Amino acid sequence: PRPDVHPLPPGTHLLYAQSGRIEHVPLEGYDMKKDDAKPLLHLPEKVIIGVAYDCVDKMVYWTEITSPSISRASIQGGEPTAVITTELDSPEGITVDHLSRTMFWTDSVKDRIEVASLEGTQRRVIVDSDLVNPRAIIADPPNGNLYWADWNRDAPKIETSYMDGSSRRVLVKDDLGLPNGLTFDPQSSLLCWADAGTHKMECMNPGRGDRRQVLEGIQYPFGITAFGKNIYYTDWRRDAVVAVDRYAGRESDEFQPQKRTKLYGITAALSQCPSGQNYCSVN
Amino acid sequence: DATQGTAGDCQPCPCPVGATCAVVPKTREVVCTNCPAGTTGKRCELCDDGFFGDPLGQNGAVRTCRACKCSNNMDPNAVGNCNRESGECLKCIYNTAGFFCDRCKEGFYGNAQAANPADKCKPCSCSPFGTVDRQTGCSQVTGQCECLPNVAERDCSACQPGFFNLHSGNGCQRCDCNPIGSTN
Repeated sequence: PRPDVHPLPPGTHLLYAQSGRIEHVPLEGYDMKKDDAKPLLHLPEKVIIGVAYDCVDKMVYWTEITSPSISRASIQGGEPTAVITTELDSPEGITVDHLSRTMFWTDSVKDRIEVASLEGTQRRVIVDSDLVNPRAIIADPPNGNLYWADWNRDAPKIETSYMDGSSRRVLVKDDLGLPNGLTFDPQSSLLCWADAGTHKMECMNPGRGDRRQVLEGIQYPFGITAFGKNIYYTDWRRDAVVAVDRYAGRESDEFQPQKRTKLYGITAALSQCPSGQNYCSVN
Repeated sequence: DATQGTAGDCQPCPCPVGATCAVVPKTREVVCTNCPAGTTGKRCELCDDGFFGDPLGQNGAVRTCRACKCSNNMDPNAVGNCNRESGECLKCIYNTAGFFCDRCKEGFYGNAQAANPADKCKPCSCSPFGTVDRQTGCSQVTGQCECLPNVAERDCSACQPGFFNLHSGNGCQRCDCNPIGSTN
């Protein structure tokens, strides 16, 4: 494998972080084409935690904790570029609002949630209270909602707010352990999470508040991403990407990279942006 | 570059046994790509996240990668728990601090290495009225706050016997009771 950015072929891919690499597995339908898994980029000295994808410019964004920073690179090839390098301690989760061209991230040492333009300008803290171990964060741009999870062992919770941090409220606080991963599926309007404490994967419609279990007995989920009927998550015990059929409620496949070390964030790089617009995309 | 037609076209990877390497086209830099388990870096000189050491002995003796050692005061669900080379703990919990999370952080006292988290580090809670300069720190071990003159207790919250007016903020004053007419 080459250490710089490998351009990806067209189609939908899973992107996931493993040590200083972002690797990809192409999807054929919902199946992982494991034999075609390859590194997208390799930054040997870094520890990459969160990954997000901008479907408009076909760029991958990631957080990195050894020299805390947020960077991006085109999946069609090119140099990785840092967009945020200051005032970060432990940036973890990251999500992109492709409509308003912004990104949101959590910092588990500063205990806050911030927003900035995709170029790193117009940065602002939007949540800075009542956070202990914020990690996963996910945006639902068409509806203007933001969701995040805090795995605080004393009081884990999943929260939501508008994309400016206003109208903040707790969505889930009961029967949570270590909610490490969070994903939102725009088609079904379901918010789903993977919990390394309860070993469950669960989903709920945030508007209705109905909560239902997808799967139990999972080992140690870290990142999670929804794509169609499947949910894919990274697992710290199995050092693998696991595919779960959401409707059947069972594991359907597993991909274990050759290198045995922890996998972190995961995201689906869609070949096309989902439809939709919001206030910021038209104004 | 295997296409130059010389004996030196292909050189061995400058990597540990078992690793492969590649050349960054732009910079011509050689980078190892399949480091042995637990290691990473351009030359496999670094430990994976959650481990520390010096697997190639770049700064002295070879130290194989070991799990972060933070006196049981770190959370295994956290990332970046220690410096990958020195092992310095970066995410101490239970109000601990120090290289190995082995002491209480500023404003707390007790035994950071106690087995039970509840017995580890307790807040100093120095009384603002009885403490010098309204300090919030205290002795790491005993928890004694630095008291103003004639002020007593660990947290400087009371006057010594025979003294009053803790709330003056300047220490306690002698009662000056008439010894003949007072009971104590």
